Amino acid sequence: MMTKDEALAALAACRTNEVVVTTMGTVRPWAAHSSHELDFASADSAMGHAADLAIGIALAHPARKVVCLNGDGSMLMTLGTLVTAVANRALNLVLFVMQNETYEITGNQPIPGAGHVDYATMARAAGFARAYSFDEATTYAAALPEILRLEGPTLVALRVAPGREGPLGREGKETAAYLRLSARDEVRRFRGAITGSAG
Amino acid sequence: MPGARAILEILKRQAVTDVIGLPDNSSAALFTLMIGDATVKVRPVTREGEAFALAAGLWMGGRNPILLIQNTGLLESGDAIRGTVVRMRIPLVCLVTYRGHAKMMKTLGRAPDAPDAELLSRSDVDSIGPVTEPTLKAWGIPFDFLHTDADLPRLEAAFQSARKQEAPVAVLVTEDTT
Repeated sequence: MMTKDEALAALAACRTNEVVVTTMGTVRPWAAHSSHELDFASADSAMGHAADLAIGIALAHPARKVVCLNGDGSMLMTLGTLVTAVANRALNLVLFVMQNETYEITGNQPIPGAGHVDYATMARAAGFARAYSFDEATTYAAALPEILRLEGPTLVALRVAPGREGPLGREGKETAAYLRLSARDEVRRFRGAITGSAG
Repeated sequence: MPGARAILEILKRQAVTDVIGLPDNSSAALFTLMIGDATVKVRPVTREGEAFALAAGLWMGGRNPILLIQNTGLLESGDAIRGTVVRMRIPLVCLVTYRGHAKMMKTLGRAPDAPDAELLSRSDVDSIGPVTEPTLKAWGIPFDFLHTDADLPRLEAAFQSARKQEAPVAVLVTEDTT
């Protein structure tokens, strides 16, 4: 098992021009590693739908990799999304499942299926081109450049230790820059950034 | 009955790029037409809640999507609607086929303002009908109706309204598309 920070630090080290969509327990920790203009926090509840939002961005920009840092509790809420990603040929989607096996935001209560659900196997069964499981940071970090380079859709399940993230909001006092604007303004900032960016 | 071809022409005039949703019997003709048309991309989902978040992502990426779902799927999507397109003020036109409308109009004559358990358990009422409009009102989503081809200007107006208000707008399709 790795820490969430080890997982995110390795991704931040490899990241170039990919979109990164965070949600729930990865929102603030990712912002500690990145303030890229193509970061977006799916932080307005609608739990489970960050991956759907990432698919939409991926379909709009098929030449650019779109990384979604999903949680396992969120993934379980919309397992059909795995099929949707394949059916829509979101070949540039890299869907991470941070597998801490708890609802971290609400105090680390266990999620259903904790300890035995295999997300990589489910992704393969749904038709994902690539699916990986890692529980050791060094092996994962070594594989990351290839994971980000190859065509997907790709799922990466990471066994991470539970953290201590609290509820999310969008307020000016937030340390994470991408939480300081309202949802309305943040989606327009992102839209301007990605449509004006050279892919 | 609204003609699928006339609806598709409006979508093209409005520069719609993607239609996300799930077919039902009322939208079947329109879905079939769009699948065979290269101008708009039909994006399938497994459940309607996915569609709202996927639409938000497409719009954030610079595209101009719409939704085409049944009202049962609209109700399933509650938190996705609230947490994505409403919260984010996405100018999204949602074509929603209105299951239960004909039965409701025949039995009640109008959509009730406050349906109760007595009404929703009546066997001569399809309970999705009476809850559709109150639900849209509760979510702050304005709506209009597409009954026949004569109402097609209302669909055009919905696009203008969504853009002006920077918010989702619903168009309730009460008859099967042909």
